[in-house]
Amino acid sequence: MARRLAAVLTVVLVGSPLLIASSTAVLALGAAAMLLCFLGILAATPVLVGGMVLALGEYTLALWLAGGPPRLAGAVLFGVVLVLLLETADFGRLAHRATLGPGLLAAQIRSWAVFAAFAGVGALVASTGANVTSAAVRLPWAPAVAAAGAAVALVGVALALSYRRLPPRA
Amino acid sequence: MTMRLTPLALSVVTVCAWGLVLGVLSGRAELAVVVLPLLLGLLRIGRTVAAREWSLARALSAPRVFEGERVTVTVTVSADGPVPLLELFEPLPPTLRLVSGHNRGLFTLGPGRSVEWRYEVECVRRGRVNLGTVHARFWDRAGLEAGETSVRLPGQLRIYPRPLPLRRLPGPRRMQAFVGNYVAPSLGEGLEPGDIRAFVPGDRVRHVNWRASLRFRQLFVTQYHQERNADVVLMLDTLAEAGAAPATTLDASIRAAAALVTGYLARKDRVGLIEYCGPFRWVRPSSGRAHHERLFEALLRADVMFSYVTQDVALVPRRVLPPQALVIAISPLIDPRFERALVDLAARGFDLVVLSPSPIPVVRRAMRPSARADLACRLWALERRARADALHRLGITIVDWDPAESLEAALGGLTPSRRRGVVR
Repeated sequence: MARRLAAVLTVVLVGSPLLIASSTAVLALGAAAMLLCFLGILAATPVLVGGMVLALGEYTLALWLAGGPPRLAGAVLFGVVLVLLLETADFGRLAHRATLGPGLLAAQIRSWAVFAAFAGVGALVASTGANVTSAAVRLPWAPAVAAAGAAVALVGVALALSYRRLPPRA
Repeated sequence: MTMRLTPLALSVVTVCAWGLVLGVLSGRAELAVVVLPLLLGLLRIGRTVAAREWSLARALSAPRVFEGERVTVTVTVSADGPVPLLELFEPLPPTLRLVSGHNRGLFTLGPGRSVEWRYEVECVRRGRVNLGTVHARFWDRAGLEAGETSVRLPGQLRIYPRPLPLRRLPGPRRMQAFVGNYVAPSLGEGLEPGDIRAFVPGDRVRHVNWRASLRFRQLFVTQYHQERNADVVLMLDTLAEAGAAPATTLDASIRAAAALVTGYLARKDRVGLIEYCGPFRWVRPSSGRAHHERLFEALLRADVMFSYVTQDVALVPRRVLPPQALVIAISPLIDPRFERALVDLAARGFDLVVLSPSPIPVVRRAMRPSARADLACRLWALERRARADALHRLGITIVDWDPAESLEAALGGLTPSRRRGVVR
C-alpha cells in the first residue's frame, strides 16, 4: 500500500515539470528520474534520493525553459510531494515482509495528510511573506546574499543534526 | 532507550541542499520554496519521546514438539501510553523455519490497548530452542528518528527427534529375568506352548493337555515358554558427522535411535543409551514412559563435540552396559575411535549390531555433481567396504543404511538372520 502510494507520488513528482515545459530534454530527465525513483522505492533510499535529485534538475530545467513569473503554489506542492515520497518509500520498505498491526496504515496516512496540509500552508505563508518582503526591501547583491543564506541554513541544519547524532553522555 | 536520527533525515538534508544549490544556480525562487516543506519536516525531530510504555508477552502453541511439526508463536504487545510506531523483530534460529506470517511486525498502539502478533514456524531440526530476545525499534511517525532496545522473554521450545517408522525390531539373542514380549527358550508361565510332559503332583489342572491324555490314557500337561524382556543399549557415535543440516549422518542416527527407543520401550524392554563422543555419556537402561522422556532428552542434547579424549569401553559400568544386553551401535563409521570401541565390545562377547547411516549418499546430496566427486565417492565407498569387511570378520553384524531410504527396509534383512541364530 505504502509503496503504491510512493509510486503515485513519483508519477506526480516527475509529471508536474512536464506541465510547465514539455520539451524532450525535460522528458528524458523525467524518465531517468522516474526509473531511479521506482528502483529506489523497491531497493534503497540512496537510489531514491538520486531519483529525486534528477527530478529537481528536471523541475529546474522546466522552469528555466518556461521562464515567466514565479509559480509559488506549484513549488509548494512539489516540495510537499518530495517529503511525502521520501517518507512513504521509507515506510514501504519498513513494512515490507512485516506483520502490520490493526489501524497502522490508517494512522500513518492520517499523519502524512496532516503534515502535508501544515507544511503546504506553512510554506505558502513563508513564501508569500518572502515575496512581500522582497518587493519592499531591495538588497544589493541579492544572488550572493541568497547563496550565503542557503549555505548558512544548510550548515545550521547539518550542525543541528550532527549534534543530535552524538551518543548520550554517561 | 535513546532516540537517534535515521538515514532518512540525512536524505532530507541532501535533497534540501541540492534544491538550494539549484535555486542559487538558476536564480529561480521556486526552488527555495520547494525546500521549505522539507525543512518544515525536519522540525518534527525531537518531538517524539521514546518512553518505555509498552510491554511484551510471548506464548507458544506447544512447548514440546517433534521435528517437522509446527508451532504458533503469539506475541502480545500492550501499551500504557501512546506508541506511534513500534517495530518488533524476533530472530529465528536455524532450527526453525518460518511457515506463515512474519517474524517482524509493525504496530501502533493507543493508551491501554494491546495487540496480538502471530506467526507460525516449522521445527526443522532437533534441539532446545530459546526464543529469548525480541528486538524492538521505536520510530516516530515520519521515520526520522528511531530508538532501539531488546526485551528478553522466556520461551523455550524443545524439538525432539522425529522417530522413523519402524514395526519390526532386531530381536535380542539373550533375555532378561523380567516379563516382556519375547518368547524365551526356557519353559515356565507363558502363552506360547512349548512341550508336553507327564503330569506330576503339583501341576495345575488347567495345564492338563486333555487330547494327549485321552490318547495315551495317562495325564499329560502342556508346558509354556516364558515371556521375557531384554536389555537393549543404544550406542550413539557423536564423534563425527557428515552432510549438511538438517540431514547429517548424526541427524539420521538420532532419528533412528528415537525409533528404536520407542519400539523397544513399547515392547517393555529396558533401554539404555550411551553417547560416545570421546568420553562416554550415558542413560542407564530402564523402561516406562518417564524413561522414554529421559532418553529423548538425552537425544535432544546429543551433538558432535570435538575431543582428544578416548575412553575405553571397560570404563562403562555394568549397570549401564549389562553383559546380556543387545547393543545396537549407530555410527557412520567415520572415526576410527568408534571402530576400536566396537571391536572391544565384540571381544567382550556382547550381542552387537552396528547400524551405519552411510555418509556417502548424504555427502553426495550436499555436493554439486561432478566427475571428481563421483570418483572420490567411489574410492570412499571402497575404503568403507574394506573397513566393514574387517569388522565383519570379527563377527560384528553391520547394517549399511542410506538415510534417504526406509530404516525398516534396512533392518528388515537383519531380523530373520538373527532369529535363526537365537542363543538358547
